[in-house]
Amino acid sequence: MTSDPRSPDVTPVAEWQDARVRYPYEQRDAVGPVTLHIRPGERLLLLGPSGSGKSTLLLTLTGLIPRSIPAEVGGNVRLYGTDAAKREPWAWAKDVAQYFQDADQTLCGMRVEDEIAFALENRALPPHLIADSVAAVMARVGLPDEWRARRSTTLSGGERQLVALAATLVQDAPLFVADEPTAHLSPEAAERLHRLLMEKRPDHSILIVDHRLDGLVGSVDRVAVLGPDGTVIAEGEPRSVFREKRDLLAAHGIWRPVSSELDRALGDAGVVPPRAPLSVTEALAHLDPATAPPDAIAKAKPAIEAFVAKRQAEPAPPEGGSRPLAELKQADCAPFLGPVVLHGIDVAIREGEVLGILGANGAGKSTLGACLAGLLPLKGGSRSGPTGGLAFQRPENQFLTGSVREEILTALPKPMPAPEKLRRASDAIATWQLAGLESQHPFTLSQGQKRRLALATLTAGETWPLLVLDEPTAGLDAHGVSRLTEEIAALRRKDRAIALITHEMDFALRLCTRCIIVGEGRILAEGAPDAVLFDRELMKRARLAEPSCAPARRWLERVASC
Amino acid sequence: MLRSINPITKLAVCFLWLGAAMLVFDPRFQAACILVPALALVLLNRTSPLLLLALMIPFCLFGFGFLTTSVLFRKESEFALQMAGESLIATPAFSAGIVLFLRAVACGMISVFFALTTDPNRAVRSLMVSLNLPARVGYSLFAAMQLAPDLAAEAQQMRIARAMRAGRPPRRIPGPAELFSLVIPLLAFAIRRAGRTAIAMEARGLSPTTPRTIMNAPGFGQNDLVFAGAAFILLCLCGLLPLRF
Repeated sequence: MTSDPRSPDVTPVAEWQDARVRYPYEQRDAVGPVTLHIRPGERLLLLGPSGSGKSTLLLTLTGLIPRSIPAEVGGNVRLYGTDAAKREPWAWAKDVAQYFQDADQTLCGMRVEDEIAFALENRALPPHLIADSVAAVMARVGLPDEWRARRSTTLSGGERQLVALAATLVQDAPLFVADEPTAHLSPEAAERLHRLLMEKRPDHSILIVDHRLDGLVGSVDRVAVLGPDGTVIAEGEPRSVFREKRDLLAAHGIWRPVSSELDRALGDAGVVPPRAPLSVTEALAHLDPATAPPDAIAKAKPAIEAFVAKRQAEPAPPEGGSRPLAELKQADCAPFLGPVVLHGIDVAIREGEVLGILGANGAGKSTLGACLAGLLPLKGGSRSGPTGGLAFQRPENQFLTGSVREEILTALPKPMPAPEKLRRASDAIATWQLAGLESQHPFTLSQGQKRRLALATLTAGETWPLLVLDEPTAGLDAHGVSRLTEEIAALRRKDRAIALITHEMDFALRLCTRCIIVGEGRILAEGAPDAVLFDRELMKRARLAEPSCAPARRWLERVASC
Repeated sequence: MLRSINPITKLAVCFLWLGAAMLVFDPRFQAACILVPALALVLLNRTSPLLLLALMIPFCLFGFGFLTTSVLFRKESEFALQMAGESLIATPAFSAGIVLFLRAVACGMISVFFALTTDPNRAVRSLMVSLNLPARVGYSLFAAMQLAPDLAAEAQQMRIARAMRAGRPPRRIPGPAELFSLVIPLLAFAIRRAGRTAIAMEARGLSPTTPRTIMNAPGFGQNDLVFAGAAFILLCLCGLLPLRF
């Protein structure tokens, strides 16, 4: 139930009127002009391609831009009817809980329980109330009690994200602003968090930016979409936006739920769902093999087969067809200065293979990836094979120079002639949509742009026969992921070996030729994605989830058995 | 056990020992100031002796500077030499240098004792509660203390990124050139990190003026009294060493 902000008695919770932001020394606005509001009790999803200014817009809300982050802000930004700039950013903390895109921007490096208690301590709440709230939110988010005394900086990327979410949820502020809150979370944790965040409470509003839409869009009241120029290009109820503006969103590389594509396929086949679906199950609801007319099933079947086939990888090369490029034998893997998290690992990666490394948050995937690349010494066992390239989970860790162009140039092999280097760098800049940013310092880019630059540096040359990509889709828009998919396919054709650490099960299904599931300190399972990712028991045990096309696959099985 | 002592008690005791180490120019006393905290760390805190030895390397190098200065530039160390001259081991330049060397190591060991047995988080909270340290100063101090381990992790990430570009695994022990090349990027990281922490704290309501609750602040108990008493008695016993032998 949302209220109309135009009615005189309802004040929007948050409101931007012709708001625009320009960073120092920039020639164009980072975002805006934007006119947008959030109604009391409303759950608003903000979408846009990377670099469209979503995060910047959120930072204007409590005045962090321009008070703490220098920028020129035009137009009006109002919170609860008051000019946001009239209060210091800290004074809005009891009204607005902000989860930033990078968990490290939300956390302060304390112990987990202190991180969570921090906001309530600042509100001078009684200690017993704070202790109860901390315990309650830890239980809601699913943080184990043993984490209380752990420093937040010693946690894995996904674990940090969970703690950051707990630290903001505990504020119980009437407006919760979340910027990519599930980017590094395992499917099970993301689903739980989506459920938790999107609980309908009439006095609580949510503004969320996220690209993992499946499981989220069903709970959203309204969607607003920013275009590449930072202005609002679409706004409305999710079902209508994802059906009516489907082509516009696709053209700008903006994420859409998987069901949107199935909706189109079924429409083209002449069996369009009666109402725009927000999940694959919804899209197939009118095509129940037990009750739907046989001609509708017949029309739908090829469309659904194509939909499922499009989501699966090309067949794996025959076993023994290519030689192992790198191999871990009885390896004990530990993060830097940390304890052993994986014991007795035996894994090999072959030329032309895309190996998926999947598992819950904190399972040790990144550690395994770094060990496989030969960049992290083993605590036990042995490794053979050349040193690989690693796309770090936090792309910032990868940057060594002062500009985008220089970053790509220095990643190319030293003996390469200078003109060839320049040509390759220009190609990479064009391919990864970094044109216009060549002179910018890598740290000033948006998260999506940073990710694209990190991937560009790894793929521009042919330096590494083995590439380990650690959550490469986090922060990328749909265009970015599609570019990455093509790049991985091309690398595979060149017989390069790729290890893909991801929480995106659809992405793993589409690209991987083999998957290993990491959990309980070891490899739980290994096999073809088709077999592993649709094993419900295994997925549950590993705290993962099936790919989003699973209901369509089951529908096909049911039709085949009828 | 040592971790449960209130950080302020420990700080006071450490300051007392540091003060004594600064003022008493006797090699036996300095040696005792090294051995007592070292034994306490090994026996009560289960600290590895190897770790202690490794941590003492910079202090030994620092002290070695004093030793060479005393031997080679005797005139500049007149006061120290005079003090050393009054002690039982009175071989002027060398014994004075030894005292200064041991003093540097003793100060290092006492500092390491505090660092290895104190959680920065508890220390800051204790200072805010017991000594009314303003929250902004306290949390700045806390962020600065937390930076040391984070810098090590960040340096490792940078080393991996560089090794990767060079197409080789990172060296187990970085060379001087590699270490030097990390200084500026780490400084940039520290500045970036400080900015982010400030924004994170501000966004979660840390204000310069308003009152706030402080959770998990350590209080004072009987353990503190026992620790402070034992530390004082041990210091007195150490002080007696030059008189007895």
